[in-house]
Amino acid sequence: MTGTTKVGIIACSGEEIPAGSLSRLAARRVLELLRPQSTVTLCLPLFLAGEEQERRFARQHPTITVDGCDKLCAKRGTEEHSGQVAASLVVTDILGQRVHKCHRSARELDKSDEEAVWILAERIAAEVDALSQTASAEQAADAPAAASCACACGSPPPEGNLELDGKTATVNWLPSIFDQLYKQNLEPGQGCADRLLETVRIYHEIPEGEEPLYRDALAAAYQEYYDRRAK
Amino acid sequence: MGHRNSEQQVLVVPCSGIGKVHGLISREAVYRVTDILMPGRSSTVCLALLVSGDPRTRAKVQQQPCITVDGCPKLCARKNVDLSGGKVALGVRVYDTLKRHHGAQLGSPTALSAAGWVAAEEIAAEIAHTAQQLLAAGKQES
Repeated sequence: MTGTTKVGIIACSGEEIPAGSLSRLAARRVLELLRPQSTVTLCLPLFLAGEEQERRFARQHPTITVDGCDKLCAKRGTEEHSGQVAASLVVTDILGQRVHKCHRSARELDKSDEEAVWILAERIAAEVDALSQTASAEQAADAPAAASCACACGSPPPEGNLELDGKTATVNWLPSIFDQLYKQNLEPGQGCADRLLETVRIYHEIPEGEEPLYRDALAAAYQEYYDRRAK
Repeated sequence: MGHRNSEQQVLVVPCSGIGKVHGLISREAVYRVTDILMPGRSSTVCLALLVSGDPRTRAKVQQQPCITVDGCPKLCARKNVDLSGGKVALGVRVYDTLKRHHGAQLGSPTALSAAGWVAAEEIAAEIAHTAQQLLAAGKQES
């Protein structure tokens, strides 16, 4: 793969059926092992719930939907919000009767599930290769049209720096965290520090003993961000 | 709750977020409840199907008490059950439970470590506790 265009994979992850679990596992397999350089996964509930960054990514990049059943939630949702998908795969079409031997919970996974995931993942990877080749050719012909996006799970997340008593800490997702809390009307000041700390901790390990430093730095950084937004 | 059916089940809806281990923990906690702790008295629905507006799934959510399990602060499961007209009796936030596992390696979005399974089981126990209370309250009302 020589192209730089990322392909988005959107699995339905349907909770009710084993095929939903297979769609999720196969998408992860492609992202982690088969095509880590050329794919990202998009979170379907987030996408359907109106997350604009995810939708924009799907508008600007080729996407492959992986649906567990013929209700095609991933395909239909993606096409409703971001235009036609580049490829639509359905687990039950690909696996046929094999899907009946599979399980919903990772606790129960066995050889049948493992084989099914490989079959699906390799099929997804083949679609990725085909799309990437097409996209590379189009990019070469129309370079200025290339767009970048760092929103999806597998792509580098947006980072922000915090100044901590003379040293700098890089925190993944910091700009997005601030955006989210701003939209939730979080006011700046020391009163916001616990909420900031709690949210940042989800994405960034805060070393023991450094909470006070992080609390102050986050409050200060959020104040700056808030002032910029308020202008 | 106003649910009158004595055969009532509790619906447990995870976000299943695909990008972080939190999503897998939410999913596995739900399966532990529906398959092991409370089979027959709890069930789940496909969140994507609910969000897509599927009438049968929306009806289920509106008729049964719901517990949502979210991996991240975006609260996709909770918000979408709310938007579909469901009543969320308990909104579990995985990241709250994980505060008790500070520094633990929980696994990945693909596979949980031993510590990840422990966290999922803790959340499942919390869900089952509330679900049993909801069912008991529903029986008293009927």
